[in-house]
Amino acid sequence: MSKMTGLEQSQYHPLVGVPMATLKPKQVRKNIHLTLWEKLYVFEILRGLFVTGKHFFINLVGFVLPPAGKKRKVFTVYYPEEKVTLPAAYRGRPVLVAGANGAEKCVACGLCEKMCPAKAISIVGGERAGGERYPVSYTLDMARCVYCGYCEEVCPKEAIVMSSEYQGLAQRDRAILRYSKDQLLRSEESVKGRLDYIRRIYSKCSY
Amino acid sequence: MQLLIFNAFCVGAVVSALLMVTTKRPVRAAMSLVATMSFLAGLYVLLDAHLIAVLQLIVYAGAIMVLFLFVIMLLNVEEKEGKLAGKTMLLQAFATVVVGLVMVTMVGLFKANGSLGAAGDASDAFGTTKAVGQMLFTEYLLPFEIASLLLLAAIVGAVILAKRRIDDSGTE
Amino acid sequence: MVADLIESIAKIVFVFSMNVGFFAPVLGWVERKQSALMQDRIGANRADILGFTAIGLFHSLADALKVLAKEDFIPAGANKFFHTVAPFICLVPAISTFAVVPFGGRYELFGHQVNLVIADLDVGILFVFALASLATYGVVLAGWSSRSNWSLLGGLRASAQMLSYEVAMGLTIIGVIMVFGSLRLTEIGALQENFFHWGIFLQPLGFVLFFTCAIAENKRVPFDIPEAESELVAGYFTEYSGLKFVMFWMAEFLEIVTISGIVTTLFFGAWHLPFVTDQMLLSWLQFAGANGAAFLAMLVNVATFFAKVIFFIWLQMSIRWTLPRFRYDQIMRLCWKMLLPLALVNILITGLVVLVL
Repeated sequence: MSKMTGLEQSQYHPLVGVPMATLKPKQVRKNIHLTLWEKLYVFEILRGLFVTGKHFFINLVGFVLPPAGKKRKVFTVYYPEEKVTLPAAYRGRPVLVAGANGAEKCVACGLCEKMCPAKAISIVGGERAGGERYPVSYTLDMARCVYCGYCEEVCPKEAIVMSSEYQGLAQRDRAILRYSKDQLLRSEESVKGRLDYIRRIYSKCSY
Repeated sequence: MQLLIFNAFCVGAVVSALLMVTTKRPVRAAMSLVATMSFLAGLYVLLDAHLIAVLQLIVYAGAIMVLFLFVIMLLNVEEKEGKLAGKTMLLQAFATVVVGLVMVTMVGLFKANGSLGAAGDASDAFGTTKAVGQMLFTEYLLPFEIASLLLLAAIVGAVILAKRRIDDSGTE
Repeated sequence: MVADLIESIAKIVFVFSMNVGFFAPVLGWVERKQSALMQDRIGANRADILGFTAIGLFHSLADALKVLAKEDFIPAGANKFFHTVAPFICLVPAISTFAVVPFGGRYELFGHQVNLVIADLDVGILFVFALASLATYGVVLAGWSSRSNWSLLGGLRASAQMLSYEVAMGLTIIGVIMVFGSLRLTEIGALQENFFHWGIFLQPLGFVLFFTCAIAENKRVPFDIPEAESELVAGYFTEYSGLKFVMFWMAEFLEIVTISGIVTTLFFGAWHLPFVTDQMLLSWLQFAGANGAAFLAMLVNVATFFAKVIFFIWLQMSIRWTLPRFRYDQIMRLCWKMLLPLALVNILITGLVVLVL
């Protein structure tokens, strides 16, 4: 999956990463000419009321007194107990990706710091014994982050990606939201879906 | 009991009317006028003129004063600085006294004339919708129609004024 | 004399507890639950007492507790007096309008005439209009006194909208008054004993127009531009919190009840069961004795009236959760260019028919 897919073999739209099959030319009715019946309005309202009323009564029976085996399906998710599986395109909290050795892939080039529109990232770079650069400290202020995903897009090393994490971001103290390197580090497997996704998307655009 | 309520309403009407004239804040003045109208409506109720009382509330308090408030809010009229000059005050006081005297004289004359009914004179039908309607469409038909013509002229005038402004700005 | 006093107090207590004690909190629950059902959701069911949720009814209780504990906030620069008074001006007409709506007919109980209406005014329906027009002040003052642009815009929109729709509503009602020949709501109700004399058959256009205007007067979707959440946060009550906020909320719900009551009285036979005259009802209930029959008939009529009211509450809620919001210019065009001419046409036709018959 690490293979960079080119334009020619893709079944995806080159820019937005949406399956081609689902893309249709957008239909917008610009000049809406209502018929006389529609202009009378009252009957159209009655039609709308009939639709919603139908749902109301079907659900009233389905929820309250369901006939055996015919309990109405609910389309909503009971949030704290149930959670939706988020798509790969979901931009949650940015996290740092750890390499195979368990250390971060980041080389402290500072591109993300430069790119960040909210100035949420601050990096202090350093050098290891072999001359390899690494971030001595990598601070991401989640109180400022706007979840734009530029850091992920600009990173040459795939070292920072938008994860699907979204919890724990409501705090009473802003200091808690200043995440350090250790708190940001995630293993490569845990963000594999997102990595695949950004390879597919960002490879389309030649910078 | 009824007299007590009547007097209370009278005092309320006069006080709120005074507030309306003396206050310098436009919204407060408008609301005082609304209070005056409501007190007057209360007085009408006590005088057995229910229809007039309700119409007073609907037309004056409910429609006209809301328009006043609307304009005040739309223009965001601010409180004006400065005090009333001594001369204006004197003039106002003089006008008040003259108008009051004229009113008192009028009431006195009517009473002497005998055309003013005494208290408790009103029959049961007095002030009901039916009685007022009958009076309006038989005895006072001409004034009623003239008033409606006046209103029609006002409506036409308003429409013409509004129409011209749209044409000038050229937006429509 | 004493019987009159007891009767009045009983009626006032009944209507007040029915409106403020039953309808206001329960409608909060109905609004949540009905919208959920109409949108294939489950709706409010989280608030529980010992794990017992009572299909979400405890949410009203939780709301009440929350509201009592909230800070009563007045924004800086706001006009304190009007900011405090506005919710009361809104709520008082909403509560007191029901005084003229009859919820039953006349009954002879133990030699005492019982007339099931708090105030049997000669001007009945006009009293409703007078109070409705006073309710505008609550909204306008709330918008103006908050010193917030959102509130001010909401207040401005509300004043223009309510004023316009009052005119259309007043003209609509004239058709009904011409047909029944009375402003007294008890009389209008009593005249609809025959099923085919119900207002809806005599004034079908009048009903549609009146219902539209009434919803607009109550500022609910599709006419809710004064509070328009997506544009004005909450419109005229943006800057309110705690109990004062709930006053606006309660005023809205009580107006729903009042509108339903008036629509029932004017157009849907008031307290009468279809095809059942008062005489028939009394003769069926004769087994309980004269007084018992009157009492049972009273219960049946009151139950009928409130069943109709509940149906119209349901209808208003359905409309609220079905239609999208109008634009401001559309609301004004609808009022002045469609409803008002239609109301005039309605008056003309009604007048001709009344004259001919």
